[in-house]
Amino acid sequence: MIVVKTSDNETFTVDREVVERSVLIKNMLDDIGENSEQAIPLPNVNSSVLKKVLEYCEHHRGEPLPAADADTSQEDTRKRSTDISEWDQKFITVDQEMLFEIILAANYLDIKSLLDVGCKTVANMIKGKTPEEIRKLFNIVNDFTPEEEAQIKKENEWAEDR
Amino acid sequence: MDKFKTLEPLKLYSTAASVSPIRKATVAPQFVGKLPSNLHLLILSYLPVPDFPAYARCSHATAALAESEMIWEKRWTSLKMDNKGLGAVLDDLEEHLRGRAAESRAAAPPTITVDDEFGDFASVDVPSDEMGDFVGAFQNPTTPMSASLWTNSFKSTSTFRAQYIRAHNLLKPLIKTLSSPPHIILDDLAAAVTSSLRLEASTLRLLFLFLSHIIQPVRKWREYKATLRSAMDRFDANLLAAFDKADEKGDENGMREAADSSWLVWDGADNDWEMGKVWAEKREIFYDQSWDPLANFTEDRRLAFDAMDDFMSLVLNAISEHGSRAVRVFPAEAGVLISFSERVASDVVGEYISPVLTRAREISIDIFLKATAASFREAWKMVDTIMAAGGDLTSRTKAEDVVFRMFEPNMDEYLDEETEAVKPAFEGICKGWDRQASERHINSGDASARFLTSHNPSQVKRNVLASFANVLLLPVTIVPRTVGAVGGALVSGGTAVGGAAAQGIAMLNPQRWGGAGGGGWGTSNVPDGYQKHRGEGNEMMFDIGTDEDDEEEKDKDEPFDEKHDELNLVPPPSAAPLSAGTLHTTSTSLDQMDQMDTLLSLDVALELIHTCRESLKRLETFAAYPDRIGDRVRDTIEEVFMLLLHALGDGHVKRGFSRATARMTSYKPAEHEETTSVAPLLQFFELVHIGDTIQSMVQVYFDKEMACTAPHIDKNDFLNSVVREKKRFENSLDDSVAGGLNAGTEVLMNQVEHIILKLTAPREYYPPENTALDLKPTKGCREAIKCLEMHCKLLKGSTSKEVLEVFHQEVGIRLIAILQKHIKRQIISLSGGFQVIADLNAYHAFITTLKVPPITADFAHLKMLGHVYVVEDAKDLAQIVRDVTRYGGAYRPEDIYEFIQRRSDWKKIEKTVDKTMYNLSFKEDCIIC
Repeated sequence: MIVVKTSDNETFTVDREVVERSVLIKNMLDDIGENSEQAIPLPNVNSSVLKKVLEYCEHHRGEPLPAADADTSQEDTRKRSTDISEWDQKFITVDQEMLFEIILAANYLDIKSLLDVGCKTVANMIKGKTPEEIRKLFNIVNDFTPEEEAQIKKENEWAEDR
Repeated sequence: MDKFKTLEPLKLYSTAASVSPIRKATVAPQFVGKLPSNLHLLILSYLPVPDFPAYARCSHATAALAESEMIWEKRWTSLKMDNKGLGAVLDDLEEHLRGRAAESRAAAPPTITVDDEFGDFASVDVPSDEMGDFVGAFQNPTTPMSASLWTNSFKSTSTFRAQYIRAHNLLKPLIKTLSSPPHIILDDLAAAVTSSLRLEASTLRLLFLFLSHIIQPVRKWREYKATLRSAMDRFDANLLAAFDKADEKGDENGMREAADSSWLVWDGADNDWEMGKVWAEKREIFYDQSWDPLANFTEDRRLAFDAMDDFMSLVLNAISEHGSRAVRVFPAEAGVLISFSERVASDVVGEYISPVLTRAREISIDIFLKATAASFREAWKMVDTIMAAGGDLTSRTKAEDVVFRMFEPNMDEYLDEETEAVKPAFEGICKGWDRQASERHINSGDASARFLTSHNPSQVKRNVLASFANVLLLPVTIVPRTVGAVGGALVSGGTAVGGAAAQGIAMLNPQRWGGAGGGGWGTSNVPDGYQKHRGEGNEMMFDIGTDEDDEEEKDKDEPFDEKHDELNLVPPPSAAPLSAGTLHTTSTSLDQMDQMDTLLSLDVALELIHTCRESLKRLETFAAYPDRIGDRVRDTIEEVFMLLLHALGDGHVKRGFSRATARMTSYKPAEHEETTSVAPLLQFFELVHIGDTIQSMVQVYFDKEMACTAPHIDKNDFLNSVVREKKRFENSLDDSVAGGLNAGTEVLMNQVEHIILKLTAPREYYPPENTALDLKPTKGCREAIKCLEMHCKLLKGSTSKEVLEVFHQEVGIRLIAILQKHIKRQIISLSGGFQVIADLNAYHAFITTLKVPPITADFAHLKMLGHVYVVEDAKDLAQIVRDVTRYGGAYRPEDIYEFIQRRSDWKKIEKTVDKTMYNLSFKEDCIIC
């Protein structure tokens, strides 16, 4: 059993197999060895998000981890379709705030599959939205002058589905 | 609106595009909104293309991200432009677009080359001016107008995004047509490119790749993809018709074009490529039934594979004719040649072989085995033909797989039968020998060349082995043909050699040399063709071998040579003169000799090895089999070899040895006349020689045969079952030899004791006074030594040095015991004492020749012991008796005391000796002075 500690000082005790879906923690455990009784601090993750992430890990325990090589694993995920499995779909149906938190946590903890699920979901959310809606989604400030924006629009016209 | 736009890009490029967004993202992940830029990129990789404009318009940062090369590289490479000439499609589409109305060009919006600086921009503008209806100043070099030279040079250097945009713009209009019914789609697509089947096919393929989840070029790509799929199927059907037409006309170009196009359209998802399959099915070879598999059997139920030869040449012709056409017509990746060959193999050759095998099985197992190996060898010819037809593009493994897979159903049964058949064959040989042996016992007199009779057994052995090794190099006939075809012709050497191999092996047996030498077996039995074919072959070697042997013997031993020659030239009526001549003895038990002869035979060993070899050679044809069957083949090879060792070891050698041993133990020296030769022991030594030769033969066979038949067996791998079995065989042979030797020693020493007892005259060591002493060893001593010498010599060079040493040591120890006992039985006078010393010296001299140090030392001490009989003075004698060091500790004073009791003057000197021995202090001084 491994103890992890969140940013808000809450501790979770989890099976090693579960927590090792995070490549970050796996590498850490490989380095320090199992017998360490100390809790692993995760300063970038709060308890509510970690709970969610661990739920995901629990469900996917025992599945093969993607290859360590970042490039090929990315290629693999690209090869898989854009579809999201039913369970993942249900799992990721959360409010936007949480979705981004999960993506950030997955990125930090290096859980490739969860990150993919999150990003696919975001991509699906972007679909068909106007620029203004997308800005709102990502919390982006529009720093274009109207001319600039028109220019960009013109530049990307080729891609539009008409 | 257009005017100020020409100026605008300046700012944009300088802020965002001039720095590579990827690098910026990876070095320090900047947050764009809520997420770092690298996650934005990941999201973008899942984002459909139509959503990019909206995303790019969010801010400078997102605009830059949307142009990131990483995203577009993946989309571009998924189009697989670099192969199959799909790139040509784009060029062609461009060509056509240019020729068509400007409306499509208006739909193709301007794109940007990312890395352009302002200065370059002006130059880009130059070609734009040439276009009259040019919409925007952002028209970039990838637009069609300068498709020729400019685009080509640009393609290699331009960004993935630019390349993708070009493809996107060219392909997207085509997608629109996909909403119409299938037949119209094809027409529309055909109109978009130069009318050529291949180009249309490429276009379809490209569209297929374009409408993928990786690219997601339009929102409804899934639906479009489905319609595209059905359009492609329709297209493929048309191609099939076109192909058939071309095929009928024999128009290979037309066929090739249709085939290539069809291959392009085929998406690889379905299991079989329709066109290749249909083509292969139409070959007439599948419908020809003119051959008769049963023609491979002659009327007397033998195999003659001429019919299969003819059949195979037909098949091979078909393969090379159609196969090479398939290679010319079909794209190499389709592997039509292989699939066609597979069909030929299973539907034609397989169908042909199975009745052959069924019939062969009905006749006999032996025929079945032969037929299996033969038909496999025949079928194997396909591999070479396939390779010849396929050229470099076909891999040999694939070609071999065709045959392997076809033949696989027959393998299990064959392998089972092979081991099953070998077992009774071995047993039969052993049993046959036993029966023959008992028969021969009745009409004894069958002569045999022996190792013992040869002056130089090891030389004979070497010759046998050399010829044996040569015989092993001869090929075994796998494919039987009619005998008439041989006719001494060089071409059909296979059969001749095969026959000769068997003969050669048989002729190896030295026991047959006698007859053969006179009969001129060397050439008469073998077809001339064979001799020419393998001039250096076995038979010739053999002749030379024996000649040398003879000559060598001539040099050494004239009288013996006469005998030997006689033996070689004319089979002598009985073994008697031979044994007599060589061993200088009258053979008292001729019957028994012959009996012993029949216990072990090189003939049987050779026959066994030959049977095994035939079986192994058959198996060897299958040795290349991969996977499970391959493992089984290798296992069977091992098993057959093990069976051979087993038959040879337990069935033949061991039995022979144990019988010989039994006969020896029942030998009673007293029942026979006094001779220096113990007949059963002599025979046993002969057996040892034969056993040794058999073992060497097995070794040679193992080395040569296993090296080529079963290269997978590591000779040094002591865990391997074959190596273990071989070891076991050698051990059991050694054990047999050792056991026999044990009994033999017993018999020999009994004989020696018998001789000594019989031949020692009552007063041998107590001669009457005044008899002249010749101081030669007594007759009993001479005969005993002669007997020992002969038997010890016989064994030389046949068993291992250790065994020999043990044997010698045993002989020595027992001889000492006998001699001591013997001396203690005698009454010895002073003059007789010299006789004792003379005898002991003779024994010692003999023992020294055995070169076993501990025994030699023992005999040296025994020799010293003789001195106690020639010392006159009782006091001196006592001193000698007491001197322990004198005998190296081998005899205690008490032992010596026993010996001196045998002196004829013992009664006289007893008191003095006792006194001297037991009153130490007083005497000591005196002696020292």
